[in-house]
Formats: sequence, C-alpha cells, structure tokens
Amino acid sequence: MSIIWGLFFTPEDFVQGNSYRIIYLHVPASFLSQTLYLAMAISSITYLIWRVKLAAYLIIAIAPIGAMTTFIALISGSIWGIPTWGTWWQWDARITSTLILFIMYLGLISLHNSFSNYEKADKLLSWLVIVGAVNIPIIKKSVDWWSTLHQSASITLTDKPSIDSVMLYPLIGSIIGFFGLVICLVLLSSKYQILHREKNKSWVKDYV
Amino acid sequence: MFKLEFLKLRKKTRSWLGPILVFWLIMLAYPLTVEFLRDKLEIGFFSVLWIAILISMMLATEDIFSEDYNDGSLEQTLIQNPSFSIIVITKIFTHWLLIGLPISILSFVFSLGTTEDLSLSLSILPLAIISSYIFLNLFVLGNALSLNKGSVLGALVTMPLALPVLIVLGKGLIAIQLDINYQSFIFLLLGSLSIIIVAIPIVVSYVIKAHLE
Repeated sequence: MSIIWGLFFTPEDFVQGNSYRIIYLHVPASFLSQTLYLAMAISSITYLIWRVKLAAYLIIAIAPIGAMTTFIALISGSIWGIPTWGTWWQWDARITSTLILFIMYLGLISLHNSFSNYEKADKLLSWLVIVGAVNIPIIKKSVDWWSTLHQSASITLTDKPSIDSVMLYPLIGSIIGFFGLVICLVLLSSKYQILHREKNKSWVKDYV
Repeated sequence: MFKLEFLKLRKKTRSWLGPILVFWLIMLAYPLTVEFLRDKLEIGFFSVLWIAILISMMLATEDIFSEDYNDGSLEQTLIQNPSFSIIVITKIFTHWLLIGLPISILSFVFSLGTTEDLSLSLSILPLAIISSYIFLNLFVLGNALSLNKGSVLGALVTMPLALPVLIVLGKGLIAIQLDINYQSFIFLLLGSLSIIIVAIPIVVSYVIKAHLE
C-alpha cells in the first residue's frame, strides 16, 4: 500500500523528477540488508555463547533473504544511478561496501553448504558472521568517511529528516511493510530449517 | 616455537618460494600486456602490484594448517597448548617473514624499476609491508574456515574482507602521487592491523577447535 502511495500519489521531486520514486524500494531494501546482517551477528553471538540451536538455524535462515535484499538494493541503486548520476555503477565507498556485503552473504551460504556436519558448519558460520560484521559500520559511515557520489542519510534518529513529510510518510510505511514481509520470510525459512535439521525427531514426523 | 615454525616452513620450499615466484611472474608478465612505453607502464602498475600481493598472500596460506591437520599434529598441538592463538600468531608471523616481507621488498624493487622515483617507491614499501600482513591474516582465517575443504572456498569467503584494504591502498597511492598527506592511510592500515593481529588469531584458534571437536 505504501509503495502504491509512494509511486502514484506523492508529488514529483523538484530536482530528480519521477526517478526519485525508486526510494520506496531502494531504501527499505538497503536498510533491511544491513539489519538482517546485524540479526545474523546477534544470532551468532547467541549461538556461540549460549549454544542455542535455534539461533544457529536462524543464521542460515536469514542468509538467503539477506542476499536477496542486498541484491535488490544494488539493482535498484543502479537503476536510480542512471538518471541521477549518469552511470549505473560507480566504485564509490557506499556501493562497493554494499557489494562486499552481498558477496559476504553468498560466501556464508557457500561455506555452510560445503559441510555435511551441520554443527561444525554452524560454528564456523557464526565466527565468519561475527568477523564480517565489521563491514556494517563501514557501509553506514562510508558516506561520511569518504567523498562519495552517494548522498548521506535523509532520515536519522537524531536530526530532523531532510525529506519532505509528503514523501517521508510513504517511505516509512514502505520500510515497515518490507520489514513485515522480511519477518514473514525469515519465519518461513526458519521453519524449513528447523524441520530439515530436526527431521529425525519424533515430533517432526508427527508434524509432517 | 618460532624457530620450529620457521624451520618447518623453510623446509617446505614450495610453500614459501611458490607465492614469491607467482608474485615475480605476475609483475614480469605485466609489461608484456601493455606497450613498452614508460608512461603507459606506470598507469596500471600499482593496481597490478596490489592485486599481485593479494594473490601471493592467498597462495601463501594455502597449506598453513592442512598438512598439520592431516598428520594429526594440529590436534596434538591444540591439546598440549592451551593458548593455541599464540601458535597461530607465530605461524602467521613466520609466513609473513618468509613470504610477505620478501614480496614487500620486491614490490619496492619493481616500483623503483618502473617509476624510477625513489621517494614514491619508498612510500610504497610500508604500504606493501602492512597490507601483506593484513592479507595474510585474512586468508589464514579463510583457510581455517575451509580446512580440508580446499583453499578456494576460504579465499572466497574472506576476499570481501580484503577489499576495503585494497580501497585504502588505492586511496593511499593517489595521496602519494598528489603529494598529499599519505601518512593518514598508513595509520589507518596500522590501526586495522593492530586489531586484526589480535582478533584473527583468537578467531582462528576457535575455528580450528570447532574443526577438531
């Protein structure tokens, strides 16, 4: 609903025209790509310290969804780049660090899939997720630390948003909507992981 | 401990000489792909140099744990030594001393040969020394993660972590060439190295424990 609101009922931007409307896809996808990685990092710490099996299942359940959101963020950013920057790709800090995040997601999935011993795979994956979390503050701060084509954040927790409320409300709505969608996907993916990993347990046989 | 690791690595000539020769070959092959005009050689030289260091460091860590893992000595060392991360630090340092340092010196030599600019080449030396140590640590982590699964997987999962270092190296080089304060990039790399040098061996020791459990 928020995407329809943003795409069809918000006014045209003074500078960017209609091309800015891609923010209703790009911003939620970028936000979620980083949030999902943080969720994986928290799950990894939980798994390594308290040995909570569900946390391990959650890590590998999130990874493909994180890869998908990062891919959407990169593609939508590229499409937006053509009318605004005149190029679909630029090796600037924000875009490159997001690409690194995407490769990290793929690497994590491949690492996990390469082991037949799931317990070992979970432990190794957790360590790599924690080490890779160093990339998240780099992505976040890249627009401040380096001079980049990418604009700095329009919505922050401390300052007044630099985006007009007519455009802001559908954006917040689309972020919440995407968040809900991703939570549903993570729950479904986690359910699959639990059923797959516990397939020899009697309760799974009864459930299936 | 250091002496033992040094002797072990020195005996395995292929392990330490191989990456150095690969580096040498890449740097020798570079002029063959471009015109033999000095200004054209200089254009892509440093990009090739950083990539050559990266690849050589990747090859240097290829069998850092695999042989010990296969003959069981890694497991015995882990049981005997409670502080396994110290052994990992020693292994990394030995590899850097026998492979990373000669490659850094070769980088200086190749840089001097290409640019004929002593101050530029002298500025390249610390960048090569620090970056080779960082790359080595990162690929050791990758190698530990993919122990007995082949080094390609390990390199793939840790390569993204090496990319920010390449970006800093590129920026540092521009600063050197424009005669801006490039020391800030050296301090940035040193800061990263000081964290990596402590954190990676600890993570690697836990990863290897996970493999051996």
